[in-house]
Amino acid sequence: MSILAYNGGAIIAMKGKNCVAIASDKRFGIQAQTLSCNFDKIFEMGPHLYIALPGLATDTQTVQQKLKFRLNLYELRENRRIHPKAFASMVSNLLYERRFGPFFVEPVIAGLDPKTFEPFVCNLDLIGCPNIPEDFVVGGTCSEQLYGMCEALWKPDLLPDELFETISQALLNAVDRDAMSGWGARVYIIEKDKIVVKELKTRMD
Amino acid sequence: MSSVVDPFNKFSYMESGSQRQHFSPYADNGGSVVAIAGEDYAIIAADTRLSSGFSIYTREQSKLFQLSEKTILGCSGCWCDTLTLTRVLDARMQMYYHEHQKLMETPAVAQMLSTMLYYKRFFPYYVSNILAGLDGEGKGCVYSYDPIGHCEKSYFRAGGSAGALLQPLLDNQIGFHNMEKVTVAPVPVEKALAILKDGFISAAERDIYTGDSILIKIITKDGIKDESFQLRKD
Amino acid sequence: MALAELCGFDKTFNFNGVPKDMGADIDENFFTGNFVSHTALALPPFPDPAENLQKFSVDESGKQLKIKFDHGTTTLGFQYQGGVVLAVDSRATGGQYIGSQTMKKIVEINDYLLGTLAGGAADCVYWDRVLAKQCRMYELRNRERISVAAASKLMANMVYNYKGMGLSMGMMICGWDKRGPGLYYVDSEGTRTAGKVFSVGSGSVYAFGVLDSGYRWDLTDEEAYDLGRRAIYHATHRDAYSGGIVRVYHMRSTGWIHISNEDCKDIHYKFVEEKENAVAGASV
Repeated sequence: MSILAYNGGAIIAMKGKNCVAIASDKRFGIQAQTLSCNFDKIFEMGPHLYIALPGLATDTQTVQQKLKFRLNLYELRENRRIHPKAFASMVSNLLYERRFGPFFVEPVIAGLDPKTFEPFVCNLDLIGCPNIPEDFVVGGTCSEQLYGMCEALWKPDLLPDELFETISQALLNAVDRDAMSGWGARVYIIEKDKIVVKELKTRMD
Repeated sequence: MSSVVDPFNKFSYMESGSQRQHFSPYADNGGSVVAIAGEDYAIIAADTRLSSGFSIYTREQSKLFQLSEKTILGCSGCWCDTLTLTRVLDARMQMYYHEHQKLMETPAVAQMLSTMLYYKRFFPYYVSNILAGLDGEGKGCVYSYDPIGHCEKSYFRAGGSAGALLQPLLDNQIGFHNMEKVTVAPVPVEKALAILKDGFISAAERDIYTGDSILIKIITKDGIKDESFQLRKD
Repeated sequence: MALAELCGFDKTFNFNGVPKDMGADIDENFFTGNFVSHTALALPPFPDPAENLQKFSVDESGKQLKIKFDHGTTTLGFQYQGGVVLAVDSRATGGQYIGSQTMKKIVEINDYLLGTLAGGAADCVYWDRVLAKQCRMYELRNRERISVAAASKLMANMVYNYKGMGLSMGMMICGWDKRGPGLYYVDSEGTRTAGKVFSVGSGSVYAFGVLDSGYRWDLTDEEAYDLGRRAIYHATHRDAYSGGIVRVYHMRSTGWIHISNEDCKDIHYKFVEEKENAVAGASV
């Protein structure tokens, strides 16, 4: 079994019209054994910026702390909020520093531009190669299932509540076909003037 | 000595440093199959790309095998195993016909296929099978298999290289999973066709072994209707 | 095949060493030998399939093949004053992928015999089917039903012939015969043992935890069903490879009856509600 699938987890981020959404499951397990149903993989990195770190749980937490540290330094030095694109580069840099002994996480970033509120989604592989598409990104143990769902359900210019429905259906049905993820889910809908966090009712097996 | 690859321990005289190249009997030729059954119909569709690694052998290979007027088998995986399996299956169908003077019903074919697959338990056919057809009462049914013949009856199923991409979509759109306040009802044939095509378009975006076009066969009591549908070819 | 015959094409490459001169129908029997002799499977053209089959799981370009068989499971069975209760989940997984959430893991061998399956799904289903046929043959020959002990021994002996070849199954065979209720555990290593409480499969450790703490000989029927259901539910909650539907069966002197099929999602939220009500009740 891949080390990336040791703890399990599934993430999606999607663009909508003037909004983005990011969603994750809540399982923390060790291989087949589920230890917790309340393990957060999405972290707030700014008022409109979120990062999810699916993969090995220990690295999820380490990378989150290292990123927070670098982000704080950046914001102190520059005295302004970071642009999501710059943040993606920061993550990429951090991961590539460990090119030959990587952190086992595949980050997913979702956010709005601090000035223009342009939606932004991005994912990176475990050594920091960024991918910035126009529609959605996925990560975690059931990426095949997530890709299948997202490709079929996503449309351009979704409104916030449509985006919530789409991302929720994509996540729920994908994790229901994966043994290593599920056990609760959380969705963040990020708009210019509000952020809505919703818990989903899921299967617990 | 420990570095020598010697699966059957026949070459213990080999000197260290020598490498034994061993033959791999299986190939993955890709392809995806989807089947959906309703009240009085069954649809089965497969893409027509046959590939190996990063190269495409052909863009127009049907992976559907008509076993009788009411039963069709869709295969994906190792193409040579598919050919052998369907050849023997065909022969068995004919033997049954001549022995009993009637066509084998779909549930009977389903059980036979399971037994045939299990016969090769210790050197399996590397094939993902999905069988679709009408049962004795004219109702649609779908049977899916693992490589050694574990068989399960259902109403919709995706298998093959893009099985994991397609199956959750079918769960959602045809099985109404994770939908609150809906009445679960069998889907009409037009809706099933639309979902199936949408699914394949999505799968072709992300799976390199699925693409080119799909062949669709719609089985009803009036016979089998063929349809084809183009997918992306890159 | 006729052409091969005409050309004198030598077909001796087959695995089971059928003589060359047995005629044209050999070819079909060679690919479907178990149609005639149910316990005779094709031998692979290499030794030690349990180990060597693993080596074929990459193709020529070194790509990993998705040759993963369906697996399970959490199953349990226990005897009590009212007979035997069996409870199982319904998930089949191929690797991490959930192949099915609705698999039937209790096989109805006949009106007085049930088998549960854990491990390789195809292995269990195939050998249960062969067992069902043999039990029927026994009935026809001896004009009485086969005993649970005999049925389980038939199974153990059949699979023992394939020991070490990679079969993977852990099953419980339960029934009611002249000696009363019977419950046996049989696995692909050849183990066969009678007992009162069993749980088999990847989630069995969790199921045992609940089962052992709630088990008594003098459970009522309803209590017994609820215990089985709870044990399986808790296993599905903690074990990634168990889930789907909890099925409960009851073996009585008059044969087996099917008690319930309940979705794990419904059970979970029912239990959550019960827990909340209990807390609310306690705080009042």
